[in-house]
Amino acid sequence: MDYLKIANGPVMWLVCGLGVGLVLVQSLLFVRRSIIAGRELGITDQQFKHAVKASTISAIGPSLVILGGMISLLVTMGGPIAWMRLSYIGSVQFELMSAEFGAQAMGVSLDGPDMNAVAFTNGVWVMALGSFGWVLFTGLCTHKMDKFRNVLAGGRKAFMPFLSIAAVLGAFAYLASDRIMRFDQGTKSCIAGFAIMALIVIVNRKLQKQWLKEWAMCIAMFGGMLIAVLI
Amino acid sequence: MENNQNRYETDYIPYIVRWGRITNLLGVALCFLPALILTFGFGFNPGLTAIVTGSLAQVSGSCIFWFVEPISYFPVLGIPGTYMSFLAGNGSSLRLPCSAAAQDSAGVVQGTEQGTIISTIGIAVSIFVNVALLSLGVILGTSVLSQLPAQVVSALSLILPALFGAMLAQFAVAQPKIGATAIVLALAMTWLSKNGFLAIFPGQPTYVIIIVAVFGTIGVSKLLFDKGMLKA
Repeated sequence: MDYLKIANGPVMWLVCGLGVGLVLVQSLLFVRRSIIAGRELGITDQQFKHAVKASTISAIGPSLVILGGMISLLVTMGGPIAWMRLSYIGSVQFELMSAEFGAQAMGVSLDGPDMNAVAFTNGVWVMALGSFGWVLFTGLCTHKMDKFRNVLAGGRKAFMPFLSIAAVLGAFAYLASDRIMRFDQGTKSCIAGFAIMALIVIVNRKLQKQWLKEWAMCIAMFGGMLIAVLI
Repeated sequence: MENNQNRYETDYIPYIVRWGRITNLLGVALCFLPALILTFGFGFNPGLTAIVTGSLAQVSGSCIFWFVEPISYFPVLGIPGTYMSFLAGNGSSLRLPCSAAAQDSAGVVQGTEQGTIISTIGIAVSIFVNVALLSLGVILGTSVLSQLPAQVVSALSLILPALFGAMLAQFAVAQPKIGATAIVLALAMTWLSKNGFLAIFPGQPTYVIIIVAVFGTIGVSKLLFDKGMLKA
């Protein structure tokens, strides 16, 4: 596997590192400014701490999924590309598919013996072309999205909160249905995750436990997984 | 307080928009850099035909998400969170859940100024956790990662469906009528697609499902709202 020498070479590390670096720089810029602005708006240190804790706990499950997705990418596309794509723009559901489409278009299979540098390069092209739209669209349009939302809501301000929930629910209903309709272990996991989360939210309306708010997502994710494995 | 609110509008948001645009547009350019270096630096040129063939297969499935995800998630993520989530990627599977959990836990309302700030913190934390874990993974490398038992790897793949179900539940419990609408629409469309009824649409009909699920749910919610059937 000759092409992996280049795929894992210093040039690729440097080039891919730039993308990951950009993500970190942006986060640091935004966090610094947000803490200042947040304090001015009366957000307490306690609230900041709760946010950091809840996000850290909730990030563990998905990060493990992404790490799992990286294993197969590492083998076929090398370390730098796998590392960059999963921390910058890419998404774990799409990246392996992109690499495969790229290799297929060259008439080879990603994990086959004829996989070569040109097919690898094509995979890298497909990954970039398959995902740049997210960054381009948000780069150009984020500051106008409030206006677009107004149009969708037909100018009715009171409808706005419902519109937001409807949009998120529509998107996740699609993602969930796609898993449910496969009728495999993922079906069980999805339904179990739904049931656990619904239960926690309803119970916690009465209990109002802070720790349950922070752990809810993590419990639902691993609980759903566990139930799917056991049943 | 009023003065501070003013500074949010006149100072904070303009700063975020200026740097968000710069970093995200720079992000578009950097995203092509590895491919350009491989093609023109190393000389591995796949040719335009292969690039287009491979990309069309991928883009036809993903391009609808370029627009629907940012538009759908923006109210939760806020302006800074939207720039960050889509520069860092993994929006549905990592950024949105972390943003929602952070805001819920800090006791702020989504879409407000406080919500926007807390969402930014939550997403930044998710970025640091994700980059740290992936960097560790890539340093340990395939030798260690491939030692993971196959059962563990296959169990990991079950986390994502549970996450989608849990996110659905978190919002559906808050608005059961909208939740039921979304679930019925999405299940029905997915069923139609799996049974070939959407084959009349060109390409991969995924985009039909997601458009009906998102905009159909918004439409029905509007009707329910107009009839006074939705409560905050």
